[in-house]
Amino acid sequence: MTAGISGYSSYIPRLRIKKEDYAKAWGSFQAAGVSEKAVMSFDEDVLTAASRVSKRALESVPMAPAKVTRFALASTTAPYLEKLLSGTILVNVGMPNSAFATDHTTSTRAGTEAFISGIEHVKASPGGVAVVATADAPRASMWDPMEHPMGAGAAGFVLSSENLIAEVEGYASFAMEHFGERFKPAGEETLQDLNVKKFFASAFTTCTTKACASLLKKLGRKPEDYAHVVIQQPDAKTPGSVAGKLMFNDAQMASGLVSVNLGDLGAASTTVGLVAALDAAKVGDRIIMISYGSGAGSDAISLKVVSDSKPVPSFKDQLEKKEYIDYIQYVKLKGALK
Amino acid sequence: MAHVSVPMYWRTIPQRYQMMGQKCKKCGAVNFPPKGVCKYCNASSEFEELQLSGKGKVHTFVLIGAGGAPPEFAEQMKAGGSYPVAIVELAEGPKVIGQMTDVNPKEVKMGMPVKAELKKIYTEEGVIRYGFKFAPDLEGK
Repeated sequence: MTAGISGYSSYIPRLRIKKEDYAKAWGSFQAAGVSEKAVMSFDEDVLTAASRVSKRALESVPMAPAKVTRFALASTTAPYLEKLLSGTILVNVGMPNSAFATDHTTSTRAGTEAFISGIEHVKASPGGVAVVATADAPRASMWDPMEHPMGAGAAGFVLSSENLIAEVEGYASFAMEHFGERFKPAGEETLQDLNVKKFFASAFTTCTTKACASLLKKLGRKPEDYAHVVIQQPDAKTPGSVAGKLMFNDAQMASGLVSVNLGDLGAASTTVGLVAALDAAKVGDRIIMISYGSGAGSDAISLKVVSDSKPVPSFKDQLEKKEYIDYIQYVKLKGALK
Repeated sequence: MAHVSVPMYWRTIPQRYQMMGQKCKKCGAVNFPPKGVCKYCNASSEFEELQLSGKGKVHTFVLIGAGGAPPEFAEQMKAGGSYPVAIVELAEGPKVIGQMTDVNPKEVKMGMPVKAELKKIYTEEGVIRYGFKFAPDLEGK
């Protein structure tokens, strides 16, 4: 059965901090290619952002929340380590309590995990409608340079088999054992990294290239068949290094490279990139999204755009509607001053 | 602190998460938040549930500045500075008090179209109290 995206949305918090403010505070800004990033306000978290994109995605169709049969939430930055998170959104949005609600977390691959689980639901249940909300605002210690790229954003999707904007052509995964890079041991408050660049480069490259290559092979596609390529963006430079190995070029990456203005969006990195690419896409364009999560794994998803319907507010509208804060305000909003 | 116990908060989730209001069966007026007796006709306690749109416009507002915040909002005030609190006239009629959000306090104006959005209100007893605040209505409708 054909399954795909019937509605989509994004949410970008209005607050931004520029790389210059980090440089003023720390002497340098260690997030390659990132010029500014989005910051959640004091009254926001990943659940409030997920609520926003779920409602916006449903309104964009428009689809009544009562018709939803599956809800998948993804984030690495849950406000509770134990407690169902998706139930909050289910009730808030007015989706039925009987919709199968799941939480996807513990790695930045969670966004595509949730997306694929939504697609599998639609394929398996005739008339099924899945809402997928990916929202993230990853955090690390202010003392750790790995905190520098961490931004905030969210993307939501209504997946079904009718009135499609983009059809999901296929997907492939690759998972393996890898450690020492972006991990949070139980009981620790902050994200850690042994900072061995080679660990990261090898895990990131292996997972993303294997997932992508197996998808291209499965679908009989070549890299040049894709007008838009979205690869996990821990910063704005890393995806480019993998793209080269996969024979994708900068022009294919341009529409979905959201980290330049928003920073690392964690589990919402490739999904917000997908929203930006969908906004820019024309009917007939193909999009490939390739996520990465430390530990490590990657999902590659291939889509074909079949309608030029675009939601309001657009990704670009939100990108332009911003208000800058300085580093002190940033530290206060992050709750880093106890 | 204006203490609201966890069970009390839980019982009001339909109004706090979904803006579920009530329509008086006698006079037809919409009550929000829900009441025991209709505050408009004072003559009926019979209601039907009504899902509000969450849309409305700012009737009037005030900026809560340093020292003005109730204890549960003191931390928010320290971290984020002054915040606007508005009386919003909802599309269905009732006027309700709520914080404004996703907006520069200087940009709040009387009559501006707003929409209720889920936000963190405050945290008590380790439980994050979610509820609605009013954001500028940008959804293009």
